[in-house]
Amino acid sequence: MIQVEGLEFAYGEGDFRLRVPALNVPEGENTAFIGPSGSGKTTLLNLIAGISVPAAGSIRTHGVEVTGLSDSARRSFRISNVGLVFQEFELLEYLTVQDNILLPFRINPSLRLDREVRERAVELASQVGIQDKLSRNPHRLSQGERQRVAVCRALLPQPGLLLADEPTGNLDPLNKDRVLDILFQQVEATGTTLVAVTHDHELLPRFERVVDFKSFEAVPSPTGQDEDARTTGPSEASERLPSGRVARPDQDRGP
Amino acid sequence: MQSFYLAWRYLAYHRLKTAILVTAVTLIVYLPVGLRVLVDQSSEQLTARADATPLLVGARGSPLELVLNSLYFGSDVPAQTRYAAVAEIRESGLALPIPLYTRFNARGYPIVGSSLEYLAFRELRVEQGRSLAMLGECLVGARVAAALGVGPGDYVISSPESVFDLAGVYPLRMRVAGVLGFSDSPDDDAIFVDLKTAWVIAGLGHGHQDLSQPEAVGQVLSREGNEVVANASVQQFNEVTEGNIDSFHFHGDLSDYPLTAVVVVPPDERASALLQGRYQSDEQAVQIVRPREVMDELLGTILTVQKFVVAGAVIVGGATLASVILVFLLSLRLRARERQTLFKIGGSRASVGLIMGSEILAVLIIGVVSAGVLTMLTSRFASAAIRALIGL
Amino acid sequence: MRVQGCWAGVVLLGVACGGAEEAAPGSSAATVSAEDPSATVPVVYVVNYPLAYMAERVGNGRVQVEFPAPDDLDPAMWSPGPEIVTAFQAADLILLNGAGYAGWVSRVSLPEGKLVDTSAGFADRYLTVDEAVTHSHGPEGEHSHEATAFTTWLDPTLALEQARAVHAALVDHWPENRTAFDEGLEALEADLTALDAQQAQLTANAGEQPIMASHPVYQYLAGRYGLNLRSVHFEPGEMPDVAGWRQLADILSEHPAEWMLWEGEPQPGVRDRLREMGVESVVYDPAGNRPEEGDYLTVMGANAENLRTVFGSGT
Repeated sequence: MIQVEGLEFAYGEGDFRLRVPALNVPEGENTAFIGPSGSGKTTLLNLIAGISVPAAGSIRTHGVEVTGLSDSARRSFRISNVGLVFQEFELLEYLTVQDNILLPFRINPSLRLDREVRERAVELASQVGIQDKLSRNPHRLSQGERQRVAVCRALLPQPGLLLADEPTGNLDPLNKDRVLDILFQQVEATGTTLVAVTHDHELLPRFERVVDFKSFEAVPSPTGQDEDARTTGPSEASERLPSGRVARPDQDRGP
Repeated sequence: MQSFYLAWRYLAYHRLKTAILVTAVTLIVYLPVGLRVLVDQSSEQLTARADATPLLVGARGSPLELVLNSLYFGSDVPAQTRYAAVAEIRESGLALPIPLYTRFNARGYPIVGSSLEYLAFRELRVEQGRSLAMLGECLVGARVAAALGVGPGDYVISSPESVFDLAGVYPLRMRVAGVLGFSDSPDDDAIFVDLKTAWVIAGLGHGHQDLSQPEAVGQVLSREGNEVVANASVQQFNEVTEGNIDSFHFHGDLSDYPLTAVVVVPPDERASALLQGRYQSDEQAVQIVRPREVMDELLGTILTVQKFVVAGAVIVGGATLASVILVFLLSLRLRARERQTLFKIGGSRASVGLIMGSEILAVLIIGVVSAGVLTMLTSRFASAAIRALIGL
Repeated sequence: MRVQGCWAGVVLLGVACGGAEEAAPGSSAATVSAEDPSATVPVVYVVNYPLAYMAERVGNGRVQVEFPAPDDLDPAMWSPGPEIVTAFQAADLILLNGAGYAGWVSRVSLPEGKLVDTSAGFADRYLTVDEAVTHSHGPEGEHSHEATAFTTWLDPTLALEQARAVHAALVDHWPENRTAFDEGLEALEADLTALDAQQAQLTANAGEQPIMASHPVYQYLAGRYGLNLRSVHFEPGEMPDVAGWRQLADILSEHPAEWMLWEGEPQPGVRDRLREMGVESVVYDPAGNRPEEGDYLTVMGANAENLRTVFGSGT
């Protein structure tokens, strides 16, 4: 589903750099990105989604070389193939729940809003249990309900890949589980590949695979050639953890 | 289309903000434009009526008062002149004189005492009923008929000039002979009577019991030969009917009877110049004025005031516009995060631009359209507004 | 009811006028009017028969004269209703007698520019009725209903002045017909002058001979010919009341008249009673309304003959 090779990225003149020599996320495998703050988890999500463009290397998402696309092509690719769930949900306050869910179909001409889409939106909403809140505005929803709206919005275009950035970061423990249940349930039902960034180690057992960002060079480092030499990170930076055990690349195969 | 839907949802959600912005834009456009239309239209109307009234003769005094009363039947009654002025002009053979006596009113509408020539001169047609024929009848203007709900055969009662008016003016119950067609002029708001009927309202003519008849004995104080002295209880008729019309009569010399003005219609410029020459001398008790000149003077004043008001409106409009722009800029900044979200989800550049831009666009369009509607309304009611403005 | 009567009057008189125009005496009206058939004929409304006659004579076929008073009423006492007033309003010219005649004119709306007062030229020579009623009531003080005598045309010289005023008005309105109007006036002048001469001759010997009038309508006649005339208020069709007879007896005691002038034939009973008092009755028709037969001149001719009876006996 996702193949990253020789990826390098830096934010402008800043001192943040991210290097991912190789990363492969197979289709259908729910993957968690973990790592300390600033280790580039969200940056990688953005690169995978085509929101940001790497300085070097290639990213193939869903079989498409995202790095080779123009801005508008990346937007269209994203809206059809990548669902995004944000930590702050990013619902539009002035739209009802229904309109928020339908939003992707209103902001890019490559998606066409028709009857079938509307029916699917209602169906999604009822699957996550918010079918009676469709005409409400987000400020009248609970945190958990908002998260569910965000999930519905991300899934409505039936993307192959769902990228979630700290999807439970703002939830209390009770809601956390419910939302995750819903998330995994939907992912499974629609055959979507889920990649989630999280800080929450309690959640890791629910993922089939965990990628720890400590293994990537996401450190302040100015040099060029040295780095290349040092970037001998594992092609498989993580391990399959059938038992739900956390496997940290640095622990298992550290240099 | 989808982008406009989102913009509309945004505006609808932020109703108050939208309303304030729309109001601001409306005012920025409307204040100078509407005022301009108001002044243009009303000055057009004022000059049209003045142009259609070549000359006015009236007692010496304020020419503006004379013109406003004669053209718009305003409530300020000018000094009165004598009916003899009509005969003088007629005998001069230089012009058609049309007497006006516009002192009274009925239920707030001016009663215009004049002659049949006035109706022909203003090209007023009788739409319902017939023209004036008998003493005590009136013709009502189109708007009066509509407002009072009167038609041929109904009655209109003249109002006394004041509560303490015991002698002279007494309420006359006037039969509506006909209703005039709509003329879009002050004539629509007037009640027309024969000059003699206006004089009856003024108490200069009256009808009462025949004192030489035996029934009148109760009112007769003395009867010496042909001289009968009656007391104040002699019943005066407050309505002219088929039965009592023959008892109505006027005392004294009609040429001394009052008028507020004479509309003078000369056939050509030469006659007009000759007539004006006759009234030039300062010893004359009467003046002759060209309504157009008097109106131009008034309009000059209005235009000067308009310039200041427009200048003020432009300054205020500029300040308001700056505030509106600021609000838009702030709004764009407030929506930066929303823009970012749309971008991340995969919104196309055009869609995101449209969603943001159509907020501004919609406010501007609604504001300009409202200003347009207001301007249209202004132009529709300009005449009434200007009349209210100059206190008629 | 009354309105319908008036309309009938208009129609009948309209027909009568048409006939009179063609037969207008003393002129070549028929031939003159045939010269100009194209133009619409101007309409002139009048308030009494003498004016109708003058307008017809002076108009000489160039104007249509309308006199809409019902023929069974004295036009001096008549007041038209709104329909006839409306007809007056539509006229091209309205001839008034003036001198307070047709008081209804001051109680209706007529286009002032079309009104011509034919006696205005001699307003300073108006006579008054010696029976004016003065009254006062209310705060405005005394005022009187002073009556001006209005049968001005009974003085043929004044009638002639009125005819000239009619002529002036017609020429003023329709100058293109001046020649016809001039001819019409000239012929009428001759007739009125002749009538005046005839009556002057018949009354030449009247001197101070006292005569009575049944009604105060002969002021101008008496004024013109110096007649010693006094009036009572007897109506031709009515028997006077006791007071009326007493008033007559009082007047006769100081004014021993042998003749009384009547506007129309008195009732036989009245005629007999007068005869018992030594007064003979004779008709002098003021011709206020259109005569059943003949025209103004024939009526005046008959009047003159009756004057001969009154004053001829003295010669």
